Amino acid sequence: MDITWGASASHEIAWGGMIAVYLFLAGIAAGAFLTAALTDLFGKNRPAKLIRAGAYIPPIAIVVGLLLLVFDLGRPLSFWKLIFNVNFSSVMSLGTFIISIFTAVALVYAYLIWAWPVAQARGIQITVAGVEAAAAREVPASGLQALRKPVAVVGSLLAFGTATYTGFLLSAVSTNTFWSVPFLGISGVPFLPFLFLVSAISTGLAATLIGAIDCSDLTLYKKVDIVLLAIEILLLIILYTSVSSAFFQGGLANLFWIGVVVIGLLLPLILAIYGVSKHKNLVVPVCGMVVVGGLALRYFVVYAGQMVR
Amino acid sequence: MAKHYAMAVVVAKCIGCQACTVACKFQNNVPEGQYRTKTPVVGPKGTFPNVSMYFEKQACQMCQNAPCVEVCPTKASHYNEAGVVLVDVDKCVGCKYCLTACPYDARFINKDTGAADKCTFCWEARVSKGQVPACVSTCVGGALVFGDEKDSNSEIAKLLSKNKGEVRKEEFGTRPSIYYIFEGVK
Ligand code: SF4
Ligand code: SF4
Repeated sequence: MDITWGASASHEIAWGGMIAVYLFLAGIAAGAFLTAALTDLFGKNRPAKLIRAGAYIPPIAIVVGLLLLVFDLGRPLSFWKLIFNVNFSSVMSLGTFIISIFTAVALVYAYLIWAWPVAQARGIQITVAGVEAAAAREVPASGLQALRKPVAVVGSLLAFGTATYTGFLLSAVSTNTFWSVPFLGISGVPFLPFLFLVSAISTGLAATLIGAIDCSDLTLYKKVDIVLLAIEILLLIILYTSVSSAFFQGGLANLFWIGVVVIGLLLPLILAIYGVSKHKNLVVPVCGMVVVGGLALRYFVVYAGQMVR
Repeated sequence: MAKHYAMAVVVAKCIGCQACTVACKFQNNVPEGQYRTKTPVVGPKGTFPNVSMYFEKQACQMCQNAPCVEVCPTKASHYNEAGVVLVDVDKCVGCKYCLTACPYDARFINKDTGAADKCTFCWEARVSKGQVPACVSTCVGGALVFGDEKDSNSEIAKLLSKNKGEVRKEEFGTRPSIYYIFEGVK
């Protein structure tokens, strides 16, 4: 670098891959939690395996994500200062609280789900083998299990908060024209929280479905997945038309077109529709691609906002 | 009335000697390869007879509506009593949110402390003791003028009343305290 005669010091990227993966994992955690909790709360024929997968993924994903976040700090050992120094005008400061509480609630919920079959078995005195069938029947909740549904409700709100927070974190940077781009030009309504919320649910649902692979009837979930993919395509079209085309060129173009669009959206959408209509089980390829696409999306958004300024 | 320290850069007087760049490294013990201030060349631009080239001193713009202060989750980035934006190293966790928010690329993570770092107007070592920042006192071309913008008798207030001072990236509404006087340059 030659600052005397030249070009100023090369612009360093402040937030790199670690932050992209963290945002991705927080999204997966939130989406998986919503999948499990909403099924638990409203599902008629509750597939226990799906609820279990959706309840176990969030604590693992969010804890790994938070570890990455802490390692990415300039001063990792001072991370606790984030909790004791609050700035209400900082989205990150508010998000710290949402994510911390969500993590705690997700852990509690995972524990309750883990303990759930045991309680069921006691309740109606059947063997563990009959649990899946028993789960369909409503059993009066007793003891700790009485907390399960309230925890699912509170956790769902926090999951919603976590998923949108990952978008607000970036969109709050008002000096960044890419991250803070408004939704359909409506000033004051940022775009990214919508995109990241939909992507979070879609990737979280996909990860849960992979975990519940041998469940018998997942058609409803596969249909939801198709709808989410369609919404995401719509949102990306909105994004593409709202910001300068410079963001979709250069080194990031491949990541966007191949990673986000083709692998993350178009291929899984086509395969999913084919799978549902032909009653083929294509969960692993479809959901695998959705998850990979979600990661590519976070990378793309995090980097694109910092490459072109 | 509270003071408001500001700096004017008389671009036409800057000869690009980098004395400010070096003085800052001396004064503030800035790690190798990192800079709180630098003065890159802009240009040469255009074709004869309209060729221009000048040097632009770049450092923290001491915004009065600073995005770095707004986003900082721990209030490590703050305004002091004289409108100077500072980083409290002890409170900073090094999250880099401020680096993403600063539109002037003024911040970096100090290699030694892990905390966000940037120009302080030499607040602790000099300005709070009534001196001017190191870059201003060393400036060979006499291009840097520093003082209390609100004191109408100060050199900087007089200079700015006679000349048009422009701020960088005005569109972001950050209200910088560094004014560039481009007279005779572009
Ligand atoms: S120039 Fe950057 S670091 Fe300095 S006050 Fe403005 S936003 Fe903050
Ligand atoms: S790096 Fe430090 S000064 Fe910057 S936003 Fe984070 S805590 Fe605040």
